[in-house]
Amino acid sequence: MGTGAVLPEMRVRRQTRFAAVGLFLLLTGTGVLIALEENLLKVFLLRNYNTRLVVLSTTLLGISSGMVGSFLLLRRRSLMGDALSHATLPGIALAFMGLVALGGVGKELGWLLGGAALSGLLGVVAVTLICRLPRMKEDTAMGIVLSVFYGAGVALLGLIQEMPGAGAAGLETFIYGKTASLVGSDFQILWLITGGVVLVSAAFYKEFKILCFDEAFAASTGWPVRRLDLLLLGLVTAVTVAGLQAVGLILIIALLVIPPAAARMWTSRLYRMLILSGLIGGMSGWIGATLSALLSKLPAGAVIVLVASGFFLFSLFLGTERGILVRLLRHLSLKRRVERQNLLRAFYEVLEQRAGGRSPEAFVSWQELLARRSWSPRLLYRIARRALEAELIEEMDRSGLLLSPEGLAAAAKVTRNHRLWELYLIEHADIAPNHVDRDADFVEHVLGERLTRHLEQSLPDILRTGAPAVPGSPHGL
Amino acid sequence: MRGADFGPEERAEHSLEAPLSIHDLTVAYQRKPVLWDVDLEIPEGRLAGVVGPNGAGKSTLLKACLDLVPRASGEVMVYGRPYRAERQRVSYVPQRESVDWDFPVTVLDVVAMGTYAELGWLRPVNRRMRERAMEALEKVRLGDLADRQISELSGGQQQRTFLARALAQKADIYLMDEPFAAVDAATERAIVEILKDLRNAGKTCLVVHHDLSTVTQYFDHVVLLNMRVVAAGATADCFTEENLRRTYGGQLTVFAEAANALRKGVR
Amino acid sequence: MEMRAGRGEVWRRLMRGAMVLVMLGTCGAWGREGPEILGTVGMVTDLAREVTGEAGAVRGLIGEGVDPHLYKPTRKDLVRLRQADIILYNGLKLEGRLADILEEMGRNGRSVRALSEAVLAGGRYRGKGGEEGTDPHLWMDVGAWRLALKEVVTFLGEADRERADRYRENGRAYTEELDRLDGYAREVLGSIPEEHRILVTAHDAFGYFGRAYGLEVRGIQGLSTESEAGLRDLEELLSEIVERGIPAIFVESSVSDKNVRALVEGARSKGHDLEIGGTLYSDAMGPAGTYRGTYFGMLDHNITTIARALGGRAPEGGIDGKLVEQGN
Repeated sequence: MGTGAVLPEMRVRRQTRFAAVGLFLLLTGTGVLIALEENLLKVFLLRNYNTRLVVLSTTLLGISSGMVGSFLLLRRRSLMGDALSHATLPGIALAFMGLVALGGVGKELGWLLGGAALSGLLGVVAVTLICRLPRMKEDTAMGIVLSVFYGAGVALLGLIQEMPGAGAAGLETFIYGKTASLVGSDFQILWLITGGVVLVSAAFYKEFKILCFDEAFAASTGWPVRRLDLLLLGLVTAVTVAGLQAVGLILIIALLVIPPAAARMWTSRLYRMLILSGLIGGMSGWIGATLSALLSKLPAGAVIVLVASGFFLFSLFLGTERGILVRLLRHLSLKRRVERQNLLRAFYEVLEQRAGGRSPEAFVSWQELLARRSWSPRLLYRIARRALEAELIEEMDRSGLLLSPEGLAAAAKVTRNHRLWELYLIEHADIAPNHVDRDADFVEHVLGERLTRHLEQSLPDILRTGAPAVPGSPHGL
Repeated sequence: MRGADFGPEERAEHSLEAPLSIHDLTVAYQRKPVLWDVDLEIPEGRLAGVVGPNGAGKSTLLKACLDLVPRASGEVMVYGRPYRAERQRVSYVPQRESVDWDFPVTVLDVVAMGTYAELGWLRPVNRRMRERAMEALEKVRLGDLADRQISELSGGQQQRTFLARALAQKADIYLMDEPFAAVDAATERAIVEILKDLRNAGKTCLVVHHDLSTVTQYFDHVVLLNMRVVAAGATADCFTEENLRRTYGGQLTVFAEAANALRKGVR
Repeated sequence: MEMRAGRGEVWRRLMRGAMVLVMLGTCGAWGREGPEILGTVGMVTDLAREVTGEAGAVRGLIGEGVDPHLYKPTRKDLVRLRQADIILYNGLKLEGRLADILEEMGRNGRSVRALSEAVLAGGRYRGKGGEEGTDPHLWMDVGAWRLALKEVVTFLGEADRERADRYRENGRAYTEELDRLDGYAREVLGSIPEEHRILVTAHDAFGYFGRAYGLEVRGIQGLSTESEAGLRDLEELLSEIVERGIPAIFVESSVSDKNVRALVEGARSKGHDLEIGGTLYSDAMGPAGTYRGTYFGMLDHNITTIARALGGRAPEGGIDGKLVEQGN
């Protein structure tokens, strides 16, 4: 049963959605403006070289990790990103040791990042291989790989600090990142990687979609799922390696997981989720780096993750698709609807018994209604008040209530739908008639008009042709 | 609907190249065999039901045909050629529970996945394919739900969505894993309609089925499976009490049910 | 027969050989007279070596090129700490996690001494910003290190009375050397033009150095190398460099040079041709066995490099011309 299908009016329109996002951005913007200073303009216009590098880098990183992270999240492989990022550490250390052994300085970025990518992928392969062992679940395998690789990396760093002649300094920065000190060469690597990642994820959109949704079906139609999986994890590796310089291997996982999770709160379309996730990631990078450029003593890497978390919390509560608030509202709305229908049906049944359904006097006392269902007087009163506001009830006083003509029509319709459904269940579903009522209560409110019409057609011999009349209740009232 | 409705059974008319023939198929998960030496041939234009107790390897049989699980031995031929060469002629309807129905796609998106293979690498879904998907969706009577998010569907609608996806593939052989499991009566009838249409169009279906009471109604061919093929052939010949006893063995309650169903069917 | 020796035989022989080697190695240490002294960082070890001369076995714990702030003691280090008779360390959290272990050993009655305590006790040296006990980089001021030298002489003399005289004599000779170095530093660093007297380095290691020799000091990161620089702090430093036309900033051997490179690129984007003035030794000394691998050589290198890069007059080879001989 889909609640969204029942409540089309509850679907917040797209404009509202964008307005909500816009509002949040505006609030954040105001927050930044409070910290207004003379160099505000400089920062926003990216006048300074270092600020420009850092802001652009983190924004690009956020966009690409948000996009790839979406697929990772939907493939239920977010933890794999974690394992992967931790698995890069021994690669960095080994590449460094290799360079020193070959007489190099050991700090050549390209080699270090290459080592990182290699050992990250090795970690992924290790996870896949461990999964094939009997009685090994994927999360166990990822846990093993994460801890073993990271432990090995830390141990290797320990070895490196004892190596003679090596300027070991700086390797630790890969763990936490050194965002403020990005240099031109870092930026070149970063935009090449992130640009490539965005392009590939867009190009393979269809392939990743089918892979993430239904791996078995994808395989049955000839898609090489293992290679696609590897490609996806390759993209994750690329983002991780690009992010090593900027936010470090611990925080990069936050950029892979948080933006997609936040985006999912706003939409149920994959391409919108991808775009939104990229936007949220990019905004986190931009806002985080900008804050670090505006306020002193704020390390950018950590601020970026905090901003992303802020986006997530905001989306969690106010997201228009799966946010907590929307869900509450939907639930409340469904509850009210069910209550109102119950009221109308009780009303109709009272009238029906009283005068064979043809009573012109649509007045019913509170006692008669209370006797129909197990509801408290207070609840009944509240439901009636809302019906009064909706003009289904014309008048109510201490003695009882008077149904309006619209109310009468609605009551007839509700009762008719209900009876139809009951009949349908009895006719076709082999359910004992005395069990029908509760089930019918439930489904009827979820059915909607289309299916009811369909039901009508499937019961031609029971329905009298012509005006929608209400068939008699198939069980004693 | 009865088996006889489908027309006369002629077992001898097997063409040289049956749509689906399986030879010596053995599948084992961690040394425990799940399928043992399965030899099977499904003639063209049949609705074939696969029945057997839980754990008999029914789903595995489909998956092994589709190369989704590793085979210990055996080969699967499609119209006389290896499966890999004729992959696009085979369509698969997985169990409904095998995917996450919260996935952020629309009903039409899912159905369009049936056309991905034909589109090939990197090419986005075009108008022609979208129309084809829409057509398939209309066939399962979900046309007006095309733009819904899939989590809004009922179980039966989900099942029909999967079926539509398979239809959009325009294959010749349809392998379906429990399409009737936990669906409403309307869906069940819709699926039966579609199966009949498929058969009338000369397609071949192999359907894993759990409800013995409807076997004779729905299928003109039956495969009784319990790790091995106990019996396979026209429903009228093979769906006998004796064969059911051999298939279900000690599972007395199930067997009682089966026998009961049989009596109903014969009646 | 020899050829047919089984695998077990070969193995046994290898093991025997290895054991002999191990014994020879340890005998080397035991063979010396005097106590076994362990220094944590290179500067401390070097000081102990100058004081003992030939009379003791001095070993260092943390290798060169290693950032002591981030150093993590390994199991092997703990064994060496347990074996040493006397342990000397800098203190003031320079040794990071190691410090806790050393303090604990000191409380347990082992001969462990933090040199910084003695230097600060004199009252002349306080931490950065007047706050006592925050900046551990005391050796940057030769005057302060002279106090540390005195402490080493006293401490070793107490722990090993037999050789106390020899220690005192070595100490006196080395003090003269340090005085000479101090004078050289004042001379060449004093020759830097007034407006260029600012020293920008990767982290705040040169506080004492700057105060002693009249240089304004700016570190991109804080006192410890573990902290991360904020983007705004970096930009502010950069605009100051550009405004004042500072010609060079410096890389440190034991700290990542990324911040410094970022500054250089930033300055160039503003049309200011900022140079990397060279690599300074801050928390660790140069390669062992070279001139820069000693405290004297390290300071000589720093002083000469800074003076030359900022526009002062200093001989290329440093105080004794030894910087050139060994190449860079």
